Amino acid sequence: MEKILEIKNLSVIRKQKEKFVPVLNDINFSIEKDELFCLVGESGCGKTSLALSIMKLLPKSFTVKSGEIFVNGKNILAMDEQSIRSMRGREMSIIFQDPGAYLDPLFTIGVHMKEAFHGDTKQQQVLMTSALKEVGLEPYMLHSYPHQLSGGQQQRVMIAMALINKPSLVIADEPTTALDILTTYQIINLLDTIRKKYHPGMLFITHDLKLATKIGTRTGIMYNGYIVEIFIPGKTRPAHPYSSILMGTEYKYSRISEATLSWQSDICPFFEKCPERDSECEKQIAFTWYQDMTGIRCIKHGRNSQV
Amino acid sequence: MKTFILKRLLQLIPMLIGMSFISFMIIQSSPGDYFAQMKMNPEISPETIEMMKINFGLDKPVLVQYLLWLKNMCRMDFGISFAYHIPVTTLIKFRLKNTLCLAIFSLFLSWVIAVPLAVLAGYKEGTNIDRMLSIFAYLSISLPSFFVALLFVYFISKTGVLPLGGTRSIFDVNASAFLIFKDYMKHLLVPGLVLCFVNIGWLFRLMKNNFVEVFNTPYILAAWARGLPASSIIFKHTLRNALNPMFTILGMEIGSILNGAALTEIICGWPGMGSLILEAVLSHDLYLVMGALVISGFLLIIGNLIGDILLTIFDPRIRLT
Amino acid sequence: MKRFFQRLRNHSKLAYFSFWFLVFFYIVSFFADILAPYHFDYQFRNKPYQPPTKIHFIDESGHFHIRPFVYNMIIDDPVFRTYREDQSTRYPVKFIVNGPERKIFFVFKTSKYLFGVDEPAGIFLFGTDTYGRDIFSRLLYGGRISLSISIVGVLISFTLGMITGGIAGYFGGLIDQILMRFVEILMVFPSFYLMLSLRAMFPLNLSSIQVYFLIVLILSLIGWAGLARIIRGMVLSIKEEDYVLAAKSLGLSHWRILFFHIFPNTFSYTITALTISVPGYIIGEAALSLLGLGIQEPYPSWGNILSSTIGNLKVVGDAPWLLLAGVFIFAVLINFNLLGDALRNVLDPKNW
Repeated sequence: MEKILEIKNLSVIRKQKEKFVPVLNDINFSIEKDELFCLVGESGCGKTSLALSIMKLLPKSFTVKSGEIFVNGKNILAMDEQSIRSMRGREMSIIFQDPGAYLDPLFTIGVHMKEAFHGDTKQQQVLMTSALKEVGLEPYMLHSYPHQLSGGQQQRVMIAMALINKPSLVIADEPTTALDILTTYQIINLLDTIRKKYHPGMLFITHDLKLATKIGTRTGIMYNGYIVEIFIPGKTRPAHPYSSILMGTEYKYSRISEATLSWQSDICPFFEKCPERDSECEKQIAFTWYQDMTGIRCIKHGRNSQV
Repeated sequence: MKTFILKRLLQLIPMLIGMSFISFMIIQSSPGDYFAQMKMNPEISPETIEMMKINFGLDKPVLVQYLLWLKNMCRMDFGISFAYHIPVTTLIKFRLKNTLCLAIFSLFLSWVIAVPLAVLAGYKEGTNIDRMLSIFAYLSISLPSFFVALLFVYFISKTGVLPLGGTRSIFDVNASAFLIFKDYMKHLLVPGLVLCFVNIGWLFRLMKNNFVEVFNTPYILAAWARGLPASSIIFKHTLRNALNPMFTILGMEIGSILNGAALTEIICGWPGMGSLILEAVLSHDLYLVMGALVISGFLLIIGNLIGDILLTIFDPRIRLT
Repeated sequence: MKRFFQRLRNHSKLAYFSFWFLVFFYIVSFFADILAPYHFDYQFRNKPYQPPTKIHFIDESGHFHIRPFVYNMIIDDPVFRTYREDQSTRYPVKFIVNGPERKIFFVFKTSKYLFGVDEPAGIFLFGTDTYGRDIFSRLLYGGRISLSISIVGVLISFTLGMITGGIAGYFGGLIDQILMRFVEILMVFPSFYLMLSLRAMFPLNLSSIQVYFLIVLILSLIGWAGLARIIRGMVLSIKEEDYVLAAKSLGLSHWRILFFHIFPNTFSYTITALTISVPGYIIGEAALSLLGLGIQEPYPSWGNILSSTIGNLKVVGDAPWLLLAGVFIFAVLINFNLLGDALRNVLDPKNW
């Protein structure tokens, strides 16, 4: 299969009050065409930073320490600003969490769409209208201002903009978190229909593991800047203790507290919170890959049983 | 839009009445009977005094006096100046023109300079350019206008590149309009530049803070993600959004520029409202003080109104509510 | 308090320096009586516009002296006021010297000065003005007036603003409406025009002490309105907080709630606002005195020291040290601005 996105050994650090704090550690995974890769983790674990690294839009205080990111085989991190700009919106696009905050309040939807469209200007009007129709919006909304739309409609606009150039990679960063349940399902269905139509590689970031297992073709679990496990929902069952906690099955909730930013690179990232830890875990633990592109970062649990 | 402006104008009426009342009370509570003072003055003719007495009801109770004054004010009659023996309106008209020219000139110049510099500093935040500009802004904010004016006037007088004092040095009746205008602008330059320098600092800082704030908003991030070029993001999205709060500032700025203009005018010898009210206070010319005060307050109200209208034009969120 | 200084220092070394610079300025001008080598009105009639006296350690024959000394300056050309040093006699700088009797802090009579030189020489660190008065001494005395006006004025207008804004915000309703309309109308006037108009209410020739209090009164009348409006807004939101409701349900009196539970929560804002608004008062005083409507001769203030240069460009060229008053104002203002900016960040609970 054709690899749309490939991330190799990505580590990102952030400068915070003269100190460097790790944000992403040793991230390795790839997304293929027509795949919906879900990334699950609690807030602050680095999901959004990962999305922004792929777009090369990290804030100034962040630095990529090591690693490579390939989109359609092109190394993003080695590119200059000019050429990365020509990729954004055309080859990769992103849908954000809170649609209201991501639309410029002073410009109409039409202006936003025009900016998002990077094709033949003759077709612009037609394509803009059809893109709007595709996400279930009326063409007259081109003349509306963002504040005149509801949250769901705003998110539809974001989706229309993200897909107008038919990019090969679409990143959706918690696209439904700011929406109510009914709208959430509408948006999810919309994304699903569109994926089936255009077959882009999709990176879907969410904190909702249930949702991820329902829609994703593959699911990665992130903890404190590490990917701790990748599994295929419906095919393999997650085995990492943290995944089990997220699934809400094996352990009592009381043992879990918020992830801390304390970071020791030489022990298991989940050591502090792990219910099953022992002295064996006090060493660096590598990510073990299996043949079906799944894997785990734990020495206690190997590959788990098939479902 | 029209209804909005109409509504705003209606809201101004109680404001204007309150403002004029306070102006009137300030002058009224001045000790000493200026009516008697007028009578003592041999240069004021008894007819003038009689006219003022009837028009302004100077022998009637205070409230009646106020209402009469208000009525006259609506007809643009602010009474007679004690010191100049001509109507206050005539005096103010001439001086107001100069002050407005000065204010608009320096306002325009300081925006034209401060906004691009703020954008530059905001875009290059944390670099040496930003630091240098910020130091300059601190200087401009912390140097009092009168001190800048003093230094500048001294510098100009030493080099003699620009004329000082007054509004014109060509008194030839046959001089062409363009020549007179050029001459006027030359005279305007000294107080104008001083005022511009004083004004630039805080304008720059406000604008830069706005710019940086907008530049870090999600919608700018989304604009980058759409693959827009930097120029479009800076000048179209960030600048437009960062300018919006500045329109509200514009109203406030009229006030601050009038304050700065007053001292600058006095030191640079520019015959404007500031020097007028100073002369009026020094010669205890109360009707003139009152007129100048009301007009200055009126200018500020107009400034605020213009700021509000601009904001409604440029911000769709306000336009529709 | 200690933690506050620590935070200020960590936030910005410059602002920390500004703080101590201002403390130094205020202390020095407070003790102007003691520190100044001359009384502000003591004149050397034969030394108008004398340039700053040079302090020497090495005499004309090249000998080094531990005790610094000055030479008498003699006017060379009375028209152009050029001076030369008369090197025939050295006048060593002495500490605790006798001079004409004057009052310290308006009460204690003394003829001792902290430092000085024997007459006819004079020690003029910053030169003299047209009457041959020592500018350094006048700047110290003037600082006492200018800086104290700003502090007293700020305190008065803040008290006014807090009380008005507090009442308006806390009680709301009609009181709120009336007070706020009044405040808005006051804010309509450009402050300079309001200041001059208020000054016009009073006769021009007042005694110095009257003028002093008049300036304080005018400046605080102008300054309180803006603060009252902001305090009102803060009180309005704080009074909905749970702890205020709790205090109410305990049956505490309105005043107690206002002073003990609401005002303390506005302090982090008010202290910053206080710092930022001091410059306005210093400028206000200087402007009034500069225009001859404030502190009158022979009393010095930074404004009226500068006023001798207005419209008298020759003086600026001959005696540029008169502009030092402006430099002093500038130095105080920039430090207040730096400190105010840092305080805004340090006192903001968001940054803790």
